[in-house]
Amino acid sequence: MTTISGDAQQPITVRHVAIQTNWERYSFLFMRLSGVGLLVLAVGHMVIQHILNSSATLSIQFVAAQWSSWGWKAYDIVLLWLAIPHGVNGLRYVLSDYIHNRAAMRAVTAVLAIFVVATVIWATIGMILFDPAPFQ
Amino acid sequence: MASLLLTVRESIRYRGRSGHYSWLAHRISGLAILFFLVIHVWDTANAYFLPQAYGWSIALFKVPFFGLGEIGVMAAVLYHAINGTRITLLDFKPEWWKYQDQSALIAWTVFAIVFIPAAIIMFNGLWGHCSELSAIGASCWTLPVYSDFADLAR
Repeated sequence: MTTISGDAQQPITVRHVAIQTNWERYSFLFMRLSGVGLLVLAVGHMVIQHILNSSATLSIQFVAAQWSSWGWKAYDIVLLWLAIPHGVNGLRYVLSDYIHNRAAMRAVTAVLAIFVVATVIWATIGMILFDPAPFQ
Repeated sequence: MASLLLTVRESIRYRGRSGHYSWLAHRISGLAILFFLVIHVWDTANAYFLPQAYGWSIALFKVPFFGLGEIGVMAAVLYHAINGTRITLLDFKPEWWKYQDQSALIAWTVFAIVFIPAAIIMFNGLWGHCSELSAIGASCWTLPVYSDFADLAR
């Protein structure tokens, strides 16, 4: 842990404290690490799909052309795996600010976890099995 | 419900200045992105599971109501990304906490510099799409009909 001294002239005191590992700490770290990944992948996705290309010209043929390459499929699958857990975990943070009943919060967390797993699996299967041939 | 009203009222009244507005914008943009993302992921999965529904929905998303929403999603993603970078840097660099106010302002400035050209390009695309359709006597506001996409059905 680091403490900040009020006086800018004073050196910063750095204390090394053994932090007990717990689930929330990994959640915090995941948000930061996936955030860095999404900074590249999600912003890249927005630039590629919405600025260099456009929804106004989007067609299933365009999707088929992209998903005929495993590179694009991998890009979208990694983006999916980072974005959905990052977003739903963020929703959990927001809800935990308003739900003070621990049992209720545990139930909400369980529902959100199931939702993350179901969404990620469903969409990953969809992308892997998508066959571009009929649309090309 | 009372808690929600309290939250909304105090979010506006609370005099936390720059850090408070960053926190609020980060939260609202995050929730907005998640709302869009969940629809987007399940909808895009339909390209495999239900191509007819996918073809219909991407046609629906060309209606300007959704086109403007798309510009909103761009704003939310860009702000969340830039402010998220600021949060992450400050989390791992406590010695920078004294620049908290400046960093919030920098985030808004970078956001404006990146978002404004992006919004202009996206709005132009939307405008061009509508002009093209009106040139052939159609309208970009017409909602697509589901049965028109039957040829995509597997």
